[in-house]
Amino acid sequence: MVIKHKNIFKTESAWSNADESLLCLDTGSWRTERPVLDKEKCNYCGLCALYCPPQCMKDMGDHYEADLAYCKGCGICATECPRKAIAMVPEGEFADG
Amino acid sequence: MVSAQKGQVMVITGNAVAAYGAMLCRPEVVAAYPITPQSELAEQLAQFVANGVLDAEYVEVEGENSSMNVVLAASIAGARTCTATSSYGLVFMYDALQEASSFRAPVVMVNANRETPGIHAVSSGQQDMISARDVGWVQIIVENDQEILDQIIMAYRLAEDFNIQLPVMVNYDGFYLSYLAEAVEIPNIEDVDAFLAPLKKQPERQKLVPGVSIGCGTHGMEMGYVEARYKHCQALERVKDKVDEIDKDFGDYFGRYYGGQIEEYRTDDADIIVVASGSATGTVRTVVDAKREDGVKVGLIKLRMFRPFPAERLTEAIKGKKAIGVIDRSLCFGWKYGPICMELKTLAVNIGSIPILSYIDGLANLDITVPHIERVIDEVSAAAQGKPYQEVTWIPMEE
Amino acid sequence: MVEGTKKRNKIFDYFCEEDQFAGGVAWCAGCPLELTARFVPKVLGKNMVFVGTPGCGAPVLHGQNVGAWHKLAYMASVMTGVPSKATGLSRYYNRIGLDATVVCFTGDGCATDVGFQPLSGAAERGEKFIYITYDNEGYMNTGNQRSSATPLGAATTTTPVGKIGRGKPTVSKNMPLIMLMHRPAYMATATLSHLEDFAKKLQKAKEKVKEGFVYLHVFSPCPVGWRISSNLSIEVCRNAVRTNYFPLWEAEEGKPRFTVEIANPKPVTELTKLMRKFSHLKEDGLEELQKAVDERYALIKSLCDANK
Repeated sequence: MVIKHKNIFKTESAWSNADESLLCLDTGSWRTERPVLDKEKCNYCGLCALYCPPQCMKDMGDHYEADLAYCKGCGICATECPRKAIAMVPEGEFADG
Repeated sequence: MVSAQKGQVMVITGNAVAAYGAMLCRPEVVAAYPITPQSELAEQLAQFVANGVLDAEYVEVEGENSSMNVVLAASIAGARTCTATSSYGLVFMYDALQEASSFRAPVVMVNANRETPGIHAVSSGQQDMISARDVGWVQIIVENDQEILDQIIMAYRLAEDFNIQLPVMVNYDGFYLSYLAEAVEIPNIEDVDAFLAPLKKQPERQKLVPGVSIGCGTHGMEMGYVEARYKHCQALERVKDKVDEIDKDFGDYFGRYYGGQIEEYRTDDADIIVVASGSATGTVRTVVDAKREDGVKVGLIKLRMFRPFPAERLTEAIKGKKAIGVIDRSLCFGWKYGPICMELKTLAVNIGSIPILSYIDGLANLDITVPHIERVIDEVSAAAQGKPYQEVTWIPMEE
Repeated sequence: MVEGTKKRNKIFDYFCEEDQFAGGVAWCAGCPLELTARFVPKVLGKNMVFVGTPGCGAPVLHGQNVGAWHKLAYMASVMTGVPSKATGLSRYYNRIGLDATVVCFTGDGCATDVGFQPLSGAAERGEKFIYITYDNEGYMNTGNQRSSATPLGAATTTTPVGKIGRGKPTVSKNMPLIMLMHRPAYMATATLSHLEDFAKKLQKAKEKVKEGFVYLHVFSPCPVGWRISSNLSIEVCRNAVRTNYFPLWEAEEGKPRFTVEIANPKPVTELTKLMRKFSHLKEDGLEELQKAVDERYALIKSLCDANK
């Protein structure tokens, strides 16, 4: 038998290695709407960042912003914001959408 | 040439001697669930721990599936481990057996062969071991109490070898050996340490360490899966020579040789061969000697390793022989031949067609007796002379 | 910028470690399990080993060939082997003096059904690891089949609604109480709407696991399977607590106490109206569900009261 296959695993059995290969999905491409913050209404309570399932809210010092590379557009931040400072706006309305 | 000191001779049962064998190798995590005919082994190990003779984590699990999972995980974390079971217990841990070998965990397990699965029976038989033949483990079968102990020591040396890293199952006939007290030489623990010491000089195997970003049991996708399976099969191939090498080292050091993958007894000038395994081999030896007195040129091949199947050594051993009789203590459902016979028959393509007779005997604690073996030798002898023969015989059904 | 809280929310103080997961992973939008999975290592620290199993957890907890979706050490297991593997790992790590936490992370299908026996065994033996059940009340990863954690009346693909079928005909196993009966060193119920409560329980879990077995039961609704609008996942958790459908309590050494007590519990319809898995239930079905909720609450309340 002439083996042409180049080994995928350095190990004898199937081990993953995050240092060698940390996988990541383009989940930002999933969403159909994105959160838009009205900074006037925000008091930096942090609930949007705490409740965000993908934990993609970046701390901007006095407010939070969704990392659009990963935001899935679930809308939890908008629903949970006690001051209704976040609106979910359809992607079509954005030039980079 | 350094050799071990003489050990202490004790008269103890197969179960107890298995516990000694395990204890001498200093396992760090032990898990066991009681099942006839192995329970005494689990108890003896617990006693060793309770008395401070064995410094190990002893987990009294709630089922055999758990005992295999406990030891395979501990093994992947880096521990030396041990467990023991029989029949239904072996079958209950079926999923874990496969994970153990696919994860390449060097677990050593003692299996007291008992009839299973399906027909409820509390009697000796090899069906349990046979039903687990494709789980990717190394499977070795021993003949007597001394060999149980010796083989357990050799099993650790094999399993943990850096170029092997496979779990090893040491089988012994339940009831025949588990409860049989024989005089056994128990080696000194320092000598066992010395015999296993070469493992420390090898590179360290991959282990699961908290805080290190590696994961065990990742999904094998497409070629990743194929590659892992291929490496596993290649490791099983490497086991063959390694078993012979370790047997030689063991014999050189402790003074007891077993032949490695197979033992060939009076086969050199034999015309016909009887193949047997386990405790019945002792009886076959006696009958072979008696027949030799009568001028029958018969030899015995004791199959010690069942997985991986010792195809190369067996081919060599049966080359030029005129006929073979294989005594199977189990069944191969879907084939009329017994499992060892069936696998041996695949070697016929290498040696040319000769009569290979299948004998099913010794099920359900029914003895493989001297008259049975005499009959086997007579019939194989006749077949060797070109006389008609019966391909498959269930000896108990003909009585 | 409105004057008010300019200080960072104190819940962030519970985090001792950054997010160990990659930015984009394959959990559904709005999935509380994603929040749980990312939350746990942030509070417990990264010196932990995840033991995961098939279910919603596996596609992200386990790798794909060499690649992994997070930086934690993990061991994958079939469902029957999770707590026993955790036993082997935790016994050995403790023996060699490694300061590490072994954390099992499974769904309710594993914990209450096929993996229950070893879980019960490990709990009884007091094995030193944390077992976290994310309870989405069914086998959600395979498409919403019922488990023994599925509630009375719920529509699933194996308890469907039709001419004869009216959803699951039996109440769910009271898994938290079952685990309480094993007298673990520590156990608690938790959910994602009450994050500080959850964080405190995780911290206590990390402390108590040094003494014995720890069990955490996390109510984690499935937006896809339960037909919840993705933005309402946290609201569902909150209403589960406010209706006493999922009371929040903890128990050290088998002595239960509420961590959140609801003065005026809302009717269970406040919860069921947020999802479609109960939409086929008429008044009588909803009354039966309310009765089941009340009975369950009364039982845990009597245990907590007895313990005061």
